[in-house]
Amino acid sequence: MSTFGAASKSAQPKASGEQARRAALPARLSLPLRELNAVVAVAARDITITLKSPGTLVMSLVMPLVMMGLIGGNLMENMAGGLGFDFGQFMLVGMLVNMLFMMTTTGLTTLVDDSDDNYSAELLVSPVSRYAIVLGKIVGSSFAAIVSCLGVLLVGLVMGIALSAGQLLALLALAPLMCLSGGALAMIVMGAIKNNRMANIAVMLVTMPQMFLSGVIIPIANSSGVLLVLSRALPMTYCVDLGRAVVYAGSPEYDAVVLFDPAVSLLAIVGLTAVCLVLGTFLYVRSENNR
Amino acid sequence: MPIIEVDNLVKRYHHAKEPAVKGVSFTVEKGELFAFLGPNGAGKTTTISILTTTLSKTSGTVLIDGFDIEKNDREVRERIGIISQRPSLDKSLTAEENIRLHACLYGMYGYRPAFRLMPAEYRDRVRQLAEVVGVGGELFKKAGRLSGGMARKFEIVRSLMHTPQVLFLDEPTQGLDAMARRDLWEYLNAVRSEWDTTVFLTTHYIDEAEGADTVCLIHGGTIALCCPPAQMKHRLGANTLEDAYVGFLRQGGVMPDDAGVGEKGRAA
Repeated sequence: MSTFGAASKSAQPKASGEQARRAALPARLSLPLRELNAVVAVAARDITITLKSPGTLVMSLVMPLVMMGLIGGNLMENMAGGLGFDFGQFMLVGMLVNMLFMMTTTGLTTLVDDSDDNYSAELLVSPVSRYAIVLGKIVGSSFAAIVSCLGVLLVGLVMGIALSAGQLLALLALAPLMCLSGGALAMIVMGAIKNNRMANIAVMLVTMPQMFLSGVIIPIANSSGVLLVLSRALPMTYCVDLGRAVVYAGSPEYDAVVLFDPAVSLLAIVGLTAVCLVLGTFLYVRSENNR
Repeated sequence: MPIIEVDNLVKRYHHAKEPAVKGVSFTVEKGELFAFLGPNGAGKTTTISILTTTLSKTSGTVLIDGFDIEKNDREVRERIGIISQRPSLDKSLTAEENIRLHACLYGMYGYRPAFRLMPAEYRDRVRQLAEVVGVGGELFKKAGRLSGGMARKFEIVRSLMHTPQVLFLDEPTQGLDAMARRDLWEYLNAVRSEWDTTVFLTTHYIDEAEGADTVCLIHGGTIALCCPPAQMKHRLGANTLEDAYVGFLRQGGVMPDDAGVGEKGRAA
């Protein structure tokens, strides 16, 4: 007789099995708390992984050096004359928002890694809503984004560009919404991607044009035609504009820098984010369930 | 009432000429060890993926503890544990961090960023489960540095944290050495004995199914035979389950005319 499966029902009656199970179960959290706990746990996983990966942290700090120091620095020195406002501060705010978007999007490509490593099965089989999982991933990815923002501020200081404490706090308060917006947009792409290589290409295809179309470093007040339509369809356009609205509030440069009423920007961000989040989560879950 | 009820389950993958699962029906009783056997590509993993809510079905009905897998997916997920064919520990995290995340996703404990900050009940339970499977000393090792056998044991600890009613094991001992296989089964048997856990097993090691209450043979996406091992051996005229299974495959997965599909399954 094999020892495998030897505890068969017929071999060992288990009169007290159900009582033993109930006794073994610890008290469960209530449903809303469980969902919140799942968001925290999934986010904590990504943060733990980031902290354990010095390469990711270094990249989060090097990226601003390239984007802000090299691209921005060159533009500031060669193309910023005659704009009617300080290009350095204009670029700094744009870069901060860009980093929040770009790093959150990059972080979400780990969903493809999870799928490759079969870890997504562990996540998706857990009794929490798919939105809790996706939100947790976005929050976790936002950690590297915030680190990148510190890098942007450091590079800015070296370049002689700074924000006041009040301006920084206002931007920090908006940061979660901006990360959520970037993450939600990335989810639409992730839902259609099956492998890591494709994911990296897709991230480039999303983040690079977005940087120019949304007015991160180049003003878009005079865009027209397709460029205008594309810029208005991107949530980052409104995030960048809202960021500038709070930084430039009360300054004489406000009208030259800010395109939309802050309320319009906020409404557009919330609306586009909600649409992207629902659609992106649906596409991701469908892609996992049909893989 | 059966804990698993599958009725006329069909799964057709996109762009596939034929369904991978063609109208499969069977039931599993509470506390049973149910072995689901078949060659590669027979539809075992597809069926188990649908039952565990990780793959959508094309048609049919699947109830776990009376809950529909699509309409009541949360209730179903609360009641099941899974050890999938492919290892699913996060290799970047320690074994304990993997278990902690699982416990938090199942709403058992609020998340804390360190083991020592988790409630004593959690710490005791993890230590106890890890000791039972003999991996207590490896709890804080990075999962990526664990041997295949140890990683499997931690997957079992993780899947049992929420005390599931049904444990799905999709080729759980694949790649394990004989000693690790035996240890693992001893532990699984102890769990079944203590918690009355229903085990749904797919395996290529037919000896693991000898002690099953029911063995179900699937071939080409349809159930060929579903009955207790003794009955299966008798029907297929073999001394061991492995002989019966090999004989069945040698006949091209076709049952002898008088065999039927057995008491626990129904033909499509």
